[in-house]
Amino acid sequence: MSGSAFATRVAVTIVALGAVTTAATAAGFDWKKFQGKTVTFLANNNPVSQALLLYKDDFEKLTGMTLKVDGYQEQQMRQRLVTVMNAHSDEVDVFMTLPSREGEQFAAAGWYGDLTAMTKSETAKDYDTVGLSQALLKAATFGSKLTSMPMNIEGPILYYRTDIFKKCGVEKPATIKDVEAAAQKIKACDGSITPFVSRGLKPAVAYTFSNVLHNIGGSYIASGKSNLCSAKGKEALDTYSGLLRDFGPPGVVNYSFQQISALYRSGRAAMAFESSNELRTVMDGGERLKDTGLTPFPAGEGGQVPTAIGWGMAVSAYSKQPDAAWYFVQWATSPEIQKRMALQGIAPPRPAVANDPEYRKWIDEQPVRKEWQAALDVLATKGSSEVGYPIVANPESREFIGQAVQDLILKQKTVDQACADADKGLDALIAQK
Amino acid sequence: MAHAANTITRDGQRAELAALSAPAVLFTLAMIAFPVIYTIWLGFHSFSSTGRQSFVGLGNYSKLIADNEFWHGLWVTFALYVLSLALQLVLGIWLALLLFHAKRLPGAVRSLFISPFMMPPVVAGLMWLVILDPSLGAANYILQSVGLPPSDWLASPVWVIPTVALIDTWQWAPYVALIVLGGLQSLPPSVYEAAQIDGASAFKTFTRITLPLLLPTIVTATILRSVDLLRFFDIIYITTQGGPGNASNTLNIYGFRVGFEFFNIGYASALMLTLTAIVFGAVVAFNRLRGAVAW
Repeated sequence: MSGSAFATRVAVTIVALGAVTTAATAAGFDWKKFQGKTVTFLANNNPVSQALLLYKDDFEKLTGMTLKVDGYQEQQMRQRLVTVMNAHSDEVDVFMTLPSREGEQFAAAGWYGDLTAMTKSETAKDYDTVGLSQALLKAATFGSKLTSMPMNIEGPILYYRTDIFKKCGVEKPATIKDVEAAAQKIKACDGSITPFVSRGLKPAVAYTFSNVLHNIGGSYIASGKSNLCSAKGKEALDTYSGLLRDFGPPGVVNYSFQQISALYRSGRAAMAFESSNELRTVMDGGERLKDTGLTPFPAGEGGQVPTAIGWGMAVSAYSKQPDAAWYFVQWATSPEIQKRMALQGIAPPRPAVANDPEYRKWIDEQPVRKEWQAALDVLATKGSSEVGYPIVANPESREFIGQAVQDLILKQKTVDQACADADKGLDALIAQK
Repeated sequence: MAHAANTITRDGQRAELAALSAPAVLFTLAMIAFPVIYTIWLGFHSFSSTGRQSFVGLGNYSKLIADNEFWHGLWVTFALYVLSLALQLVLGIWLALLLFHAKRLPGAVRSLFISPFMMPPVVAGLMWLVILDPSLGAANYILQSVGLPPSDWLASPVWVIPTVALIDTWQWAPYVALIVLGGLQSLPPSVYEAAQIDGASAFKTFTRITLPLLLPTIVTATILRSVDLLRFFDIIYITTQGGPGNASNTLNIYGFRVGFEFFNIGYASALMLTLTAIVFGAVVAFNRLRGAVAW
């Protein structure tokens, strides 16, 4: 069976399952079924969980359950999860996960509970499984197992300064070449402004680089081997590192989202290629509200293939109360809660919520929000969730991508050397079972 | 008869002593011995990315010998150790002498001098990350305002180790100063009076009397800082995560990433046990040195 045929079958199964089970279970559904139980939620302390947990009391009131939140920064959350899961402990019932990063790995390790079965057992009347982004559900399906429910949709988009573009006579870029040309022109026009900034920190590079690679028409793997040394792979490495080396801020090799948002918000960058999730941070203080334009990263020879990922909520395979845990997951990813989160600036993984009149009103309040939503619409329709190599050792694969980009930014290697070194390490990772 | 009674009493006392100390012994075993034994056990196993484990004997250790990143990490660990320790000892002794002789210095100023090491390293790391940001940080602003060129600081493969060493020195030189100050205050005044009578210069008094007498204290400070520096983690992780490239990838950072980001707990355990052996070796060596310089 081809990959796309399999994916279609999975998607059709999920849709059919959603439609059938909703009708079958809604009648006898009772939110109070697990009253008195305590569900432990291991959360990444990011804007997504922060928006969700504003309504924690509502969940407890609705279900009579207690929600115990164990919140950490992303890296620390994973450390805790590794410890808990390796010990096969039932300490955690529900955890946040990035299927694009660790999905393959966690699924292979058997850490995810099977949500396919859970959606069969208990689904509230208004829980619209079919209404969730099918692309994100597909990205969270490994084998025939649905492993997490999407909480949001996000991806890197280009934030650009309309006032600087106007001053320097630069048009909104339509292609990758236009981005390079715009950066060149801005550099000549205003030396005090950083023309372009994006992620340069080694483990963070893959998130933005993948978009450039896909737009150029490259792929990570071809014929079972790492493909960074293909013509397109080298072009992507050269383009991305060149943009950062020639037009990025000093010290860009240590830049991740915090530094990028701070630089752009302070008015010292003309273009920032950073997560759609950063909108609220970038607009904090209101200085960039009037002079910012937003667009998905411009197309290359491979078209426009933006990176689109989302945080998901998974039930631990070691939870002793997976059904109660599922109630929390279901509540957190329900249309009502996702609409409330959307009004906090968390892009909803449900097209219906994106079209909700109340949400549209919020979007229409500011032009920058309209552009943000338009960019997200492109992410939702054209997006790829491939960030780094689609292998079990995905997190480690990101190291090699980041190392190659940093070697080029710091001029420590030629493109040929950097891609060859990366491919060597990556081939070994791909070969791992 | 009396001898037998004594033996019974002694045996009873022993049993009582054993019973009373048992909780402490068990607690120590649970909290110290178990993690160490468990780590040793982990070091003999390999864990795949999916958590599957298999016994590999000394396989992780032979892998380590062939691993370039391990040797690079070892080099970075020692470079950072030597540079930081040298800076901290020199500045710490200088600061201690300053505090010792400036007896009129107000208490608040003294507290300010020694306050950095009371700051959590994570906070210190974040603070310096902001100060040293090449675009937005105060450090380059100051350099440029006095006509000096800006630096990439933590983003430069060349400067990252000296910069991290400076951050650590900022935080821990006052700690060394506090230890040395304690040593200075305990030196016998009679030796200085004799030197004064003999007409010794201030420099000679320092090099021939103060420094030799302070050596045991300095070695103690060296041991304490060595243990910390060889397993230096927090500030590096906050500021560079081992980068740029792998320029600040110490053994500790490398082991952490192998274990908690790539989930190879077995190999990470082997790396950390090797580092533990190095730290232990350094402590033993310095302890012997302390014995040699005691007076």
